[in-house]
Amino acid sequence: MKLNTEFMRETFIASLGGIPKTMLITILTLLVSIPIAFAMALSKLENKKVSSKFVTAYVSFIRGTPIVLQILFIYSLLPSTLNHLIKDVLGLSVNVFKMNKIVYAIIVFSLNNIAVLTELFRSALGTVGHGQMEAAMTVGLTKRQAYRRIIIPQALVAALPNLCNTVIGLIKNTSLAFLMAVQEITAISKMKAAAGYYYIEAYLMIALIYIIVCTVVQLLFALIEHQLSAYKKRLAV
Amino acid sequence: MHPFHPSYVFTVLVQLFPYIGVTLLMMLGTVIFGGAIGILLAKAKIKRRIVPRAIAEVYTYLTRCVPSIIMLFIVYYGVPALLLQFGININNFNKGVFVITAFSILFASNLGEVFRAAYLAVDPGQREAAVCSGLSEFQAFYRIILPQAAVHALPNFSNMLVNLMKEGALAYSIGLIDVMGEGNLLIGRNQGSYTLETYLGMAIIYWALTYVIELIFGKLEKNLSKGKKHATSVA
Repeated sequence: MKLNTEFMRETFIASLGGIPKTMLITILTLLVSIPIAFAMALSKLENKKVSSKFVTAYVSFIRGTPIVLQILFIYSLLPSTLNHLIKDVLGLSVNVFKMNKIVYAIIVFSLNNIAVLTELFRSALGTVGHGQMEAAMTVGLTKRQAYRRIIIPQALVAALPNLCNTVIGLIKNTSLAFLMAVQEITAISKMKAAAGYYYIEAYLMIALIYIIVCTVVQLLFALIEHQLSAYKKRLAV
Repeated sequence: MHPFHPSYVFTVLVQLFPYIGVTLLMMLGTVIFGGAIGILLAKAKIKRRIVPRAIAEVYTYLTRCVPSIIMLFIVYYGVPALLLQFGININNFNKGVFVITAFSILFASNLGEVFRAAYLAVDPGQREAAVCSGLSEFQAFYRIILPQAAVHALPNFSNMLVNLMKEGALAYSIGLIDVMGEGNLLIGRNQGSYTLETYLGMAIIYWALTYVIELIFGKLEKNLSKGKKHATSVA
């Protein structure tokens, strides 16, 4: 088997151009899903009757079905529903079908990621002892203050390793955005591969790019974890 | 808006039901072959000999970073081309072979981590006590450590199975006819009508499978850890 190295070099450089789009989807998805997931985790922890049942069902459904199915489902449902909503209900004249496809990608990945993050936040908040909240309330903090200053900083340290895994999982899942015609890493090199039948070369290059991206993300998280867990070291001294 | 026919969802369920077998077979194949590689990986990481350990760590790291769909395509296009160099033509092989190969390569690292964590969860004193009382290393492993480690492995193993099933849905992209593949064919045959109903039917099947897997493993864990609770309550 002879690999076309010239083509590999070309594809590698061309696919690098897809990284900003992949990262854009990842970051926007995280920005959308983190607050919602946090609220859902809280409602589950505080055992609110209706909302915690809804959260349980939602998380179970999303975690029980393949993401590729969610993408196909939402991508075939959402545009026409949005069109109906905007044109017939709101009476606006916006052409939904001309909207940037990246919006759909962010919606799908957010819906998926919310479920994953809800579970993650729930277990992270669970690692902070009950006494912490009680102590914070005793010294006169409000519940909101207690969460912001006492609980979340500690829960975040516990959540980071899992959060890193989630982000990497999300980046890997964005490789499916080509199903929604988003021009990210996978879509770009797939197109180049199809032009010259150099499939193996193209896919090896995509794999290489994902390995590089994931390495950078993991290094970043290691750095953040080092910073955030500084308080633990001070305690140990 | 699409017209929506709830009753068609049931038709989809009935039509897709036989293809659950393909999905389960794919999972079984992956667990067997991926598990074999996973055992080697776990062993290499536990034994702490530098070269095998480094290989295992690098393997785990690399496969963890590659999306399933990319691995599927690399195997689907790469392995036949590679074997053709040795004069072996596997282009006409069943698609399932490629799917199981790709997922075995990917999930071997997950399985390896599951095995390693389970092994390390068993107190080293157990092995020492077993060897002291006259069992050989082999006997100590099979009679003392393995039964305890298996219980520890169950929750992670069930998680991994569910993930494998969900990632396995991607196999339709190289033409495997499992639940996902047949569902897509069904949409094609209906010329795009009943799309939502079909996807909903597929989602229900996968959701139900996840539920069943988690139920079985939950029960299994409860059953197998009975003895453990007893032992600690006596101590």
